[in-house]
Amino acid sequence: MTMIPLGQVVATELRPSTPHQFHFWTARDAILGIGTIVRVEGDGRVVFGVVTEGFAYADLARPLDAVIGADGDPARAADEPTLRTEIRLWSAAVLRQLPEEPLQPVPFGGVAAASDRDVRIALRMDAYVTDESSTGIPVGVYAAGGLSAPVLLDADFLLGPEAAHLNITGVSGLATKTSAVTFLLTSIFQTFPVSKGTVAAVCFNVKGPDLCFLDQPAPLGEVDLGLWQRLGLHPVPFADMTVFAPFKADGVNLNTLRTNDAIVDRVEPLVWGLREVLDYAEVVLNRDDVDAKADALIDFLAERVVGKRYEAKELRDAPFEVLSFADLDVFFRAIFDHLETGRGGEVWRTHHVATIRKIRNRLGNIATRSKGLVTDDGAANDLPWGAFRDRSLMVVDVAGVDPLAQDLVFARVISKLREHLERRDLGVDHVVVFVDELNNYAPADGPDTYVKKMLLDLSERGRYLGLVLFSAQQFRSQVMRRVVGNAGTTVFGRMDADELAMPGYATLSPAVKAKLAALPKGELLLRHPHFTQPVFVRFPRPAALSGREGVERFPPSPDLPFGDAVVRRLKALDPGVAADQVRAAIDGRPDDEVRRALSATARRRPDDVLAFFRGCLRSTIAAAPVGPRRGITRLARDDDDPFAPY
Amino acid sequence: MSSPFAALRRRLTLAGGRAATTAFDLVRRVPEGASALSARVVEPPLAHHAIGERVAWTDDVAFLDGTQHIELVGYIGTDPVIAAVVRAAVRIRRDRRTSIAAEAVRRVVVGRASALAALGRSVEPYAAIPIVTDDPPHPVHDLERGHAVVDRARASLEASVAKTFRAAHDCWLIADGTLALSPDWTTDRRMIGVVKSHGVLPFTGAELEVYLTLPAAHRTSVFAIGSRPDAAIHAWALRLWPWDRHDLFHGLVRVEVAAGDGSLSSADRLSRFLLAERSPVTSQPRADRLLYGIHDVGRYLRAREA
Repeated sequence: MTMIPLGQVVATELRPSTPHQFHFWTARDAILGIGTIVRVEGDGRVVFGVVTEGFAYADLARPLDAVIGADGDPARAADEPTLRTEIRLWSAAVLRQLPEEPLQPVPFGGVAAASDRDVRIALRMDAYVTDESSTGIPVGVYAAGGLSAPVLLDADFLLGPEAAHLNITGVSGLATKTSAVTFLLTSIFQTFPVSKGTVAAVCFNVKGPDLCFLDQPAPLGEVDLGLWQRLGLHPVPFADMTVFAPFKADGVNLNTLRTNDAIVDRVEPLVWGLREVLDYAEVVLNRDDVDAKADALIDFLAERVVGKRYEAKELRDAPFEVLSFADLDVFFRAIFDHLETGRGGEVWRTHHVATIRKIRNRLGNIATRSKGLVTDDGAANDLPWGAFRDRSLMVVDVAGVDPLAQDLVFARVISKLREHLERRDLGVDHVVVFVDELNNYAPADGPDTYVKKMLLDLSERGRYLGLVLFSAQQFRSQVMRRVVGNAGTTVFGRMDADELAMPGYATLSPAVKAKLAALPKGELLLRHPHFTQPVFVRFPRPAALSGREGVERFPPSPDLPFGDAVVRRLKALDPGVAADQVRAAIDGRPDDEVRRALSATARRRPDDVLAFFRGCLRSTIAAAPVGPRRGITRLARDDDDPFAPY
Repeated sequence: MSSPFAALRRRLTLAGGRAATTAFDLVRRVPEGASALSARVVEPPLAHHAIGERVAWTDDVAFLDGTQHIELVGYIGTDPVIAAVVRAAVRIRRDRRTSIAAEAVRRVVVGRASALAALGRSVEPYAAIPIVTDDPPHPVHDLERGHAVVDRARASLEASVAKTFRAAHDCWLIADGTLALSPDWTTDRRMIGVVKSHGVLPFTGAELEVYLTLPAAHRTSVFAIGSRPDAAIHAWALRLWPWDRHDLFHGLVRVEVAAGDGSLSSADRLSRFLLAERSPVTSQPRADRLLYGIHDVGRYLRAREA
């Protein structure tokens, strides 16, 4: 194949060619730029490199010469009849050399723009993308000089077991991070080899409506459709998606922006009971709380009290049945009554009253701050543990809940994922967990929280289990280094200049940094274990609605009064439910009782929704009409009776 | 760095002189023994003429220059043998950018005929050029003579390249140096010689003072030089940059064109064009007199040599 030279390698004593870097010049109008992949041939070797820096200079020795030449008038500079001779000099980092051994300085050969095949070889994709088998996951196209070559990540290095995890950094507001992850998940779902097992994704939606409409198709332009086609992917949204969202404090309106009646059917309440919370109680305990005494009390509650018949004759004759926070509070109250009456002193069954009060406060705090997530009736509605479906997407919407509750959700969901994956009974072999705003949950400084430790554990050991962390943040430098450092694949979108000035970006050239600071939406700088150097790729717009578009197209329904909200939720289960009948059924009943019935109905999803719902409500005795008071029958007057009162 | 002669310069100015600051070595580049050049004013009297604002050429313009790399390679007996690579090129300017239009290279070996004969065919592919003289061999004088032979070889090559260029182009061609180097040039109505060196001056006495005190953006009256009437050259001095506080020759060039009916009338127009060519300013020692286009050719040749 005849190479059309774009430039020529040059090397001087000050700028020598090395095995990892070389320099070349081109014509002034050569079409290449920072990030362009080039091919050098010479001395029987082929070297691929990526342009990392560009220089242009003329033969002007001193700026003063330019001033003199223009008579001190900048406007006259354009009058110079001859344009100064100038050079376009480029620096490139070596991506690959063929043959790879012995590793030698780059030869002084001609430089050409890389072809489609060159890109595949340069990025070592030929090792995992072959005609026979492929573990390639399309991530975008390398585009330069009219070339549009697909770039694929190695599934073994993205989802394990060789390496795993992906971290993306970029400024907020451009939707690049969310779009990139959304697109990549689509790509994974469409191309992850069946031979590698099954895969699902759990995404935590932590801001607004970002991830709430990923099952809704987005209109795509020709350019984006062309990119999808070039990557061999179908531009379709997620077919199997469920949004899990807690309730608001009223317990019936969902705490999510996906409440439009047209699409609310794919929203499941996320409700946890005392048992679910107690298992992760340490999440909500700060460093000062975590001591042996507190641990002992929590263990005691979890193992002996909650969910069991617990007898404590000194507290009361009847055994305790602690199923909810309300039951737990009754239990604690009984202990305090016992101690305050002086019968037990300051210690109850080896637990000091101060420890008991502290744990009661902390657990009570959860119930208060996480109202809507934590139910008082003990019945939970959770992710489908053990029944995860292949290529399914679960969005856990915690955008509207208290940070403490967010921590609780992260900790429990990820821990449960880990438990099930360890037992291999989750339903899928791999799970991608997407966490945005990672700097909030695994900050570089600050205390070692449970969530931080859990994310670190996930990043360090998750790949062996098939638990993969896709994380994103605005400032990588503000995230715990070990968490982002364990990400096999690193992605950068448009970056903040201050962030780029941090020492962590010292390996990037000034030109690459400048490009990153002005990177257009849809372009990324990608680092992957197979790529010797980071490369710029362009990815298409996701085929699903963004949060902003979703909210515009499906405006959230306003919060309804309690009764109307109950009607709406039952109608979501069975559109044939008559509103009047529902209102009649709940009229005059306590809200808690209605909530419990509603929750039970939602869990069971019976054929006859209304009948089941009614059945869950406590039976009532029909009121008997009360007639006028009859009083005592008046005595007949007997005038003959001398003792009569009247 | 401040000069220890600042006070002396002030006194010189007070006495009616003009202070200069050009480095002494640069002034000394003017060869010693400079003599007058036979010149006849054809636009009398010899005076200063303002040429007006500079005007850039918009049409194609070409520049001609040559280089020589010369070394003493050894002796045959006591006779020196020198070798040289001479190059010449024309670069044409279109749309403010220059590109190569014609070029040639010649490799020569110069020495006494006896020395060259002793070398025989071993000098190939170099062309052997003998030093022709009746003087007895003298190693130092022969070096000077050999140098002159190389100078002539370069001039010859420049003429050859200019001829090649002219066969294909009819735009203005600006040569570095005098047109007297080639008979063809003295009759080329679209050729300009720009002489930077003033080792040979055309006037003496009061006329010399007029000649050398030319203000910036002025030219002198046109004068004819050359001994042969049929190959006369019309010339004038042109000051590209103010010489105040430099030296007399700062920014001073002699412009030569083929003598003809239009040479007088075109002096102002060509001067305005050449004045525009003073920028971009090069970083060369004689940047005040070096047109960028000429500099561009020289650099091209040196790069080829490297």
